[in-house]
Amino acid sequence: MRTIWAPIILIVLFATPMIQLVFASETPGEYVNRAQEIWNLFFRMMTIAFVVGGVIAGTIVWQVWRFRESNPKAKPTPYEDKGDL
Amino acid sequence: MVLTLAKPRPIWQIMFSTHHTDVGLMYLIFSIMALFIGGAMAIAIRVELFAPGAQIIADAMTFNRLFTSHGTTMIFLFLLPSASAVGNYLVPIMVRYKDMAYPKLNAIAFWMIPPAAVLVWLGMADFGWYANPPYSVISSPAPAAEMWIFGLKLLGVSSILGSINFVVTILKCKHPDMSIGKVPLLAWSFLAASTIAIMALPTFAAGLLMLLTDRLGATGFFNPLVGGDPIAYQHLFWFTFHPEVYVLVIPAIGMMYEIVPRFSRRPIFSHSSGVFAFVLLSIVAFASWAHHMFATGMSFTEKTVFMVGTLAAVPASAMHVFNFLATMWNGRIKFATPMMWAIGGIALFFSAGAGGVVNTAMPLDFITHDSYWVVGHFHLFVFGTIAFGTIGFFYYLFPYVTRRMYNEKLGVVHFILSMVGASLTFFTQHLLGLYGMPRRVFDYPEIPEWIAMNQIISIGAMIILVGMGIFLVNLIYSSARGKPANMNDPFGLGGKYYYPYSQLNPHHDKAGY
Amino acid sequence: MGHSNWPEWIYVAVVIALLVYVGAEAWNIENLIDHAPEDAEIIKVTAQQWFWSFEHADGTKEIGELHLKKDHAYKFEIHSKDVNHNFNIPEFLVLMDAVPGRINTVWFSPNESGEFDIQCREYCGLIHYNMRAKLFVEGS
Repeated sequence: MRTIWAPIILIVLFATPMIQLVFASETPGEYVNRAQEIWNLFFRMMTIAFVVGGVIAGTIVWQVWRFRESNPKAKPTPYEDKGDL
Repeated sequence: MVLTLAKPRPIWQIMFSTHHTDVGLMYLIFSIMALFIGGAMAIAIRVELFAPGAQIIADAMTFNRLFTSHGTTMIFLFLLPSASAVGNYLVPIMVRYKDMAYPKLNAIAFWMIPPAAVLVWLGMADFGWYANPPYSVISSPAPAAEMWIFGLKLLGVSSILGSINFVVTILKCKHPDMSIGKVPLLAWSFLAASTIAIMALPTFAAGLLMLLTDRLGATGFFNPLVGGDPIAYQHLFWFTFHPEVYVLVIPAIGMMYEIVPRFSRRPIFSHSSGVFAFVLLSIVAFASWAHHMFATGMSFTEKTVFMVGTLAAVPASAMHVFNFLATMWNGRIKFATPMMWAIGGIALFFSAGAGGVVNTAMPLDFITHDSYWVVGHFHLFVFGTIAFGTIGFFYYLFPYVTRRMYNEKLGVVHFILSMVGASLTFFTQHLLGLYGMPRRVFDYPEIPEWIAMNQIISIGAMIILVGMGIFLVNLIYSSARGKPANMNDPFGLGGKYYYPYSQLNPHHDKAGY
Repeated sequence: MGHSNWPEWIYVAVVIALLVYVGAEAWNIENLIDHAPEDAEIIKVTAQQWFWSFEHADGTKEIGELHLKKDHAYKFEIHSKDVNHNFNIPEFLVLMDAVPGRINTVWFSPNESGEFDIQCREYCGLIHYNMRAKLFVEGS
């Protein structure tokens, strides 16, 4: 169910520039809107950054929770008591 | 152990010493002092910017001097010396040698720094830490500018001497039984950073000299009226200082490589990946300098080249993040203070890098150039990554240097305040930049969004300040009166995790330490 | 390497793929906005400590203010009389250094009318923080 978001995001990210390339011709009075193009790119980049950031931050948070030494499920690593790592 | 506040050593014994532990201690104390001086300047700036209009600073010139000195102090007098502190203390131990390769040169390199600091602080130049001409040549007042130039000359030479020492110690003085591949990652990080420094610094040394002769009127390197080019300086500056930021971050990552495996009670996931990533980063660091100059009127092709060069450095950093996460996997993690700082630092490292990718995407530079986005971005690196890694490592090194334990509860409070404060301050600065507020401004118009964000940022800075105050109290009190540490395993990790190669300070330590 | 490393290889491949996408998209957009149209009106922008002055194609001069027409294309030729400055209209993302000894160009077409800020985006000394001007875009 949640994996439906990944292809949707990817399609939006790839379709937006492709649509632009099709409509790229300029006529007087219809110049490319600089601010709009740049902000559009910015928001697409932000989407990627937050998705990746969410994955990384989520992984860190989960690991910190699951592998903390006070976790009832915590077990000694194979390297303990062997001394110098 | 070199710091015994309860029964202090004679001060001249430390000051005239050439032993690497003493030189490391001097770098440590100096860098912490500079952290607080630079921090005080930052607080003055944030109090002033709390609202439009003048608050506590009377005029723009004073403000301009403050942000210049804040940047110069933090980079050259806190970050670089703190890395030197850690390196001097530990590199000889890690390569199993008795001292640095050139102990006297080592001490000389340290002692060049206090006079340079005096020059910078008494001068209080006003042209930003990067001293761009033509402003720094024709418009910036003397003698502040000359004092800054001479101060930086001294600091540059000191850095090069220190770097030579690290490279020779690691490559030539390491124990015969230790192959280069077995050298710990922290030592590798100093090898990489020192190599970058040696390659990069001479360019700015030249640029600095050219700036001085331009100011004296003897030359016109950066004066368009006689055929010079102001932008040439920027190339010379950034060719050095982009690699220099890697000189700053690589040792901090090395410090995290000491903390994360030990406190996860697992070896590092891939030592060779770490080495490869450090070496790759050292090379690619030189390919991106002009991304700082996207707004100077570069051609499309030039900008593309430097965008690609910048992006090429990201996979190496990403490899380090993977290495840390993979090391923690299936570990049994003890969340003592050093580990909290290391993990917080890794999280902020990613955010800083992501923001950097946005900057380097050429058109997005039109949004972010010279705005508070850039300020937030680089502070996430220098504070969120480097200072976090360094401070965490200072806590880790504390029992080693003093044979006492710091107060763990105060360490945790310091971490929480810094994490909250850094997030409030530096993420909000990104947003403020998107709203268009420029850098290096004494005052700003009464735009409600700008005012609100500036206030949040200033409050975040105050939170960091409180944490730092607690840090200082912890450091001093615990050095004098802290509980004696169990030197085999101060953090209770089990097994003999603390440096297996004990190093004796010839002046003080008795055998059997 | 004693153990299997394939997760790391996949991870690095994903990182590189993302960066290639970022780079390609950035190149694409920069390409789109880089070329000024032939019929763009040239406006000379002069930066000096600490104010802006403008000269239109027909010779009209303005100091501290700039009047433009909506949906027309304008190309700025920017230079400085003393130190580095940066001509910035944040609303329209116009941003370009003013460097003495050279002329930098940037073009745009204002798509909304109204009153907008012009500010300096490169530290230039004492009154850098207040080196501002007003842009008036007229028309419907």
